[in-house]
Amino acid sequence: MSSRATAPQGSPLRQLADREGFLAWAMLLPAVVYIVLVVAVPFGLAVAFAFSDVTAGDPSYDWVGLRNFARIFEDPVFWKALGNTFVFTAVSMALIIVLGKVLANILVADFHGKWVVRFLVLLPWTTPVALSTVAWLWLYDSVYSPIDWVLRNLGLIENHLYFLGRPELATASVIAVHVWRLVPLAAVIMMVGLLGIPTDVQDAAKVDGVGFWRRMFEVTIPLTMPLIAVAALFGAIFTFTDMAVVYILTRGGPTNSTQVLSSWAFIVGIEGGDIGQGAAIALFLFPLLLAAAVLILRAVRKIEVF
Amino acid sequence: MPAYGPWTRRRFLQATGVAGLGVAAGCASEPGGGPGGGGQATVPAPSTTFTEPAGRLSGGLSILLWSHFVPSHDTWFDRFARRWGEQVGVDVTVDHIAVADIPARTAAELQAGQGHDIIQYIATLSQYEQSVLDLADVTQEANNRWGTQLELCRKSSLNPATGKYYAYAPGWVPDPGDYRRSLWEPVGLPNGPSTWQELLDGGAEIKRSQDVQLGLGMSQEIDSNMAGRALLWSFGGAIQDANEQVVINSPQTVAAVEFMQRLYRDTMTPEVFSWNAASNNQGLIAGELSYILNSISAYRTSQGTNPQVAGDTHFVSALAGPEAAIAAQHVMYNWIVPSHSRNADAAKEFLLHYTANMASAAYHSKLYDFPAWPELVPQLDGWLADDPFGSTPPDKLAVLRNAVDWATNIGHPGPASPAAGEVFGQYIIPNMYARAARGEMNPEQTVARAEAQIRPIFDKWRQRGLVGGA
Repeated sequence: MSSRATAPQGSPLRQLADREGFLAWAMLLPAVVYIVLVVAVPFGLAVAFAFSDVTAGDPSYDWVGLRNFARIFEDPVFWKALGNTFVFTAVSMALIIVLGKVLANILVADFHGKWVVRFLVLLPWTTPVALSTVAWLWLYDSVYSPIDWVLRNLGLIENHLYFLGRPELATASVIAVHVWRLVPLAAVIMMVGLLGIPTDVQDAAKVDGVGFWRRMFEVTIPLTMPLIAVAALFGAIFTFTDMAVVYILTRGGPTNSTQVLSSWAFIVGIEGGDIGQGAAIALFLFPLLLAAAVLILRAVRKIEVF
Repeated sequence: MPAYGPWTRRRFLQATGVAGLGVAAGCASEPGGGPGGGGQATVPAPSTTFTEPAGRLSGGLSILLWSHFVPSHDTWFDRFARRWGEQVGVDVTVDHIAVADIPARTAAELQAGQGHDIIQYIATLSQYEQSVLDLADVTQEANNRWGTQLELCRKSSLNPATGKYYAYAPGWVPDPGDYRRSLWEPVGLPNGPSTWQELLDGGAEIKRSQDVQLGLGMSQEIDSNMAGRALLWSFGGAIQDANEQVVINSPQTVAAVEFMQRLYRDTMTPEVFSWNAASNNQGLIAGELSYILNSISAYRTSQGTNPQVAGDTHFVSALAGPEAAIAAQHVMYNWIVPSHSRNADAAKEFLLHYTANMASAAYHSKLYDFPAWPELVPQLDGWLADDPFGSTPPDKLAVLRNAVDWATNIGHPGPASPAAGEVFGQYIIPNMYARAARGEMNPEQTVARAEAQIRPIFDKWRQRGLVGGA
């Protein structure tokens, strides 16, 4: 680089500061150290624990091979939790994308009070998930549910719905909370994509007489596809790894019908005290997260090209 | 200078500061009437006793415990602990956290090898046995001072397989039935049900005629665990026998599940599958439940928030089944001293000092906490017979005087081992009932499923030497 060639001779520190390779690493280092400490080390520990008999009360490490995995494979709750994790994620992701797209279209439109609406729409995303889920717990309460009350007073139902007391409704309730809290994030990501489409492209399509739906599916969506993919993947990751919503709303019930991998890993590993087995359950989150991470990175590369 | 009128920023801050202090002072001087407010206590609080520690103490002592269901207890406890620290030269700090957070916090501290010197929880902490000090010396000293510890507390702190007191259990809380007299009077049971059959018959009639359901949880929470065990034991079933062998799959257990199916069908609604630990309290206080199994906490809350329901709420002892009338303890206090504690001597002395003042703990918890050494609180019988905290009639809590006769530990008839604790923590018993009640499985199938879940847990802990039997 020319800067290196023309750099004046000075102190060693100054010479170091002029070396781009060194600077790049120096600036990346805090982030790398941070990620190693809070992600890589715990992940490595989880892998190590999954092959051990470590318990909450006995941190001494003894290798047990695949024994923890053999035990969890025999446990029907594990398979239920694994299936639920995928179902919750897939259904949530689909709804998040559709509703996020609708919301993004609304948010880019011109209307009075747009900023207030954008602020309100973002609130579910900015509220800590534990707090908002406690609010939903009350909304679903078997005695005090205002949703129930409204439906009863409108004459749409006669008795309580018991949202969290019936497996189907409990499943739908958990998914609804995931969708509610993640749609704003998806909408904002997709809004950025919409705003990035050159207006002349849309104008040209309009001049050619292309209708709304055709423009949507043949112009807007293809051009924003990388960002839609990012929104979908973020939604999937946040749903896949979340345990707060299930733990607060149902603790996995009724009869473990809403159990997910993260909540079951917590119940077995922390509440039950078997950290080795809990770690083995949690490890099943890893393959999908790895795939999601790869896809996100690919999508980001497409955005860069775009 | 621009004119701001009389309200400069400084004056505004001064005024709001004074107002804030005034409000705080007003709250502090409000006639609370005994611990936690909600009525003037009719007897004074017991005085605190103090015994000089066996040796000279110094340094710091950090205590982690739950935020008590009765807030006045925590106000008392914090002052009490600090005062003891001042007397013996130890710097005491007390941290209260939500009860649900204590297992995770305890596990994290034990894994890290640092943290609080004493940790308290409301259920057994047997799973931490290998990382805590043996508290046999504290228990023995307490036995020397105050007689023999109650069996349910001993079985909830001693692991017979290792002979180690993994915890110290100075107190517990009974789990009576709470019923609404105005609902049970019309069905001919003004004093509430005394047997499981009466609960079914009366509860069904109340639901039919008054559209009010029963509230026995079959959910993934503590009260459902307790209710399920009470029914199981009363029908002669058990998870393990006295020698820690798994015996869940028995005709008695199947009979208990069949009974729960009928009980659910005739007296309850699907809400019982969704409950958390507060739900049956809320349902009773809202006047929506005719009977629940709980401590007196729901009643104490309703005294302040819904006096009409409080006046109508009465208590019954464990319901009799075909084989027995037994209920689980509602709370079992377990205090552990982690191996990493830097001041174990002070921790043990504090535990003895706390135990010596169990009368204060019982009083300031509004008779929620019971002692593991009955002679420590000689006033308790009198208080239960004539509640100092505003019950009408005053002897409403008298049924709790013999609670120790019908209460037992969660591993009954065996100990509360790590295996019993994990079965408890995975809510296997409530789910066993729920599968049958919901029609997902028949009673035999659901009991077999429970056994398939319980056996590996016992085998696992037995391999680690923490559960007895071959």
